Amino acid sequence: MELFTPDFGLIFWMFLRFAVLFFILCKYAWPAITKMMDQRAELIDKGVEYAQQAKQDLDNAQAKAEELMQEARRQQADILREADRVKTQIIEDARNEARQAASKELDQAKLQIDQARKEAEQNIRDEVSAFALNIAQKVVRKQMSDTKAQTQLVDSLLDELEKKN
Amino acid sequence: MVSMSFPASASSKHDDAHESGEIDPKEIIFDHLGDRYGWEVPFNHHKSIPLPIIVFGSDGLHIFSSERVAHGHEYVDNGKTFRIATEGDNKGKVVEIVDGKEVRPFDISITKNVCALIITVIVVCLLLFPLKRYYKRKGYKAPRRWLGAIEALTWFVYDGVIKSTLKDKAKKFAPYLLTVFYFIFVMNLMGLMVIFPGGANLTGNIAVTLVLAICTFLATNLFGTKHYWKEVFWPDVPLWLKFPLPIMPIIEVFGMFTKPAALTVRLFANMMGGHMIVIVLTLLIFIFAKMGMGVASGTAVVSSLFSIFMLLIDVLVSFIQAYVFTMLSTIFISLAQENPHHEHSEAARK
Repeated sequence: MELFTPDFGLIFWMFLRFAVLFFILCKYAWPAITKMMDQRAELIDKGVEYAQQAKQDLDNAQAKAEELMQEARRQQADILREADRVKTQIIEDARNEARQAASKELDQAKLQIDQARKEAEQNIRDEVSAFALNIAQKVVRKQMSDTKAQTQLVDSLLDELEKKN
Repeated sequence: MVSMSFPASASSKHDDAHESGEIDPKEIIFDHLGDRYGWEVPFNHHKSIPLPIIVFGSDGLHIFSSERVAHGHEYVDNGKTFRIATEGDNKGKVVEIVDGKEVRPFDISITKNVCALIITVIVVCLLLFPLKRYYKRKGYKAPRRWLGAIEALTWFVYDGVIKSTLKDKAKKFAPYLLTVFYFIFVMNLMGLMVIFPGGANLTGNIAVTLVLAICTFLATNLFGTKHYWKEVFWPDVPLWLKFPLPIMPIIEVFGMFTKPAALTVRLFANMMGGHMIVIVLTLLIFIFAKMGMGVASGTAVVSSLFSIFMLLIDVLVSFIQAYVFTMLSTIFISLAQENPHHEHSEAARK
């Protein structure tokens, strides 16, 4: 059975060839190849990690942006509502003020009218009294043409004065 | 590859049958599985590619072409007669005739297998150096096509087997293990090609697998840690198992040697078996040829189909055996790299 008995020549050559191949590859090929493979594997791993991180960041950023938008929208609504409120208040205020001013004007007008009326009344009274006095003068002048009657009147007037005091 | 193999192997069988008139299957099978001086060419059984014979005879070195001793010729070199023995223990080997007796000289001829080894070394270099050059030139860019395939294969072994088993020690042993993988893989595939530069049943030769297994044995034991040697000679077992009768150490030492033996025989038997089945299937055609035209043609079709199927399976086996050899080597080496504090995690991982 030649097959099962290793031939020395072949063992010798096999060992030599294998050693030569091993040293050639060991020196010139494998370090470079395995180093590059390791480096690339690392690069890819890092790349994947980085991509995941980036995706997460992006997701976060989107969420944040969404949040900001929501916040902005809410603020906008607040501002609008506030503006609305202020607007109605201003209108209300203006209206009130106008009303007040109007009523003030009205009062003043009334006062003036009153005063005017009083003045007018005074004038009329003055005139009427002057007029009446005039008439009375004339009447008295006619009646007091005798001395007796005059004395009588003075006496009655003096009596009145005495009574008063 | 497969289609080429057929006419070649079939024709050489045919010639054998013509020479002796009767075919001797065992003879043909072992002839094809074994080594020889010179490399046969397809379609011509009488010519072969001559290879140098290098022998240290009784008076020193002799180098001559294998053509001179082919077909039973005797060759006289410096007064010494050489021929290829046709029978006896040295059958098929170069012998020197000393006093009418055949004496086997110290033979380191470049036989067919040795020549195939050279071709394998060249092919492995041709596979790997372009990859290295590519990396140098293109850096991180992933190679495509042929180089991409080699890279994928290398990465498969490097990352899947070596790095995952040896962890931080991977850098130290990866060159050896990857070399072993490529060497076996290329030898296996070249062996499946029947015509030159393939056809040598290299990994189906026990000398080749033995050398590889010895290399793994050396890598395992020369770089073994203190813990490994302690486990061998003073394992963690009850005292009576190691003293006064060292039962466990004997078993452990025995185990040290069975591991490379298993490696040797596994690769050898698998590859030889594959070759043998294909040859036997081919021979069936000639064995049944005597029983008439119908039977012969029927057998030819069936066994051709089976041979092609077996050759395709052998392509797969070529890869699997190279992978298994590398993987087992890695495991043996990693077992010798164990440190006490790693033991628990190792055990947990298994």
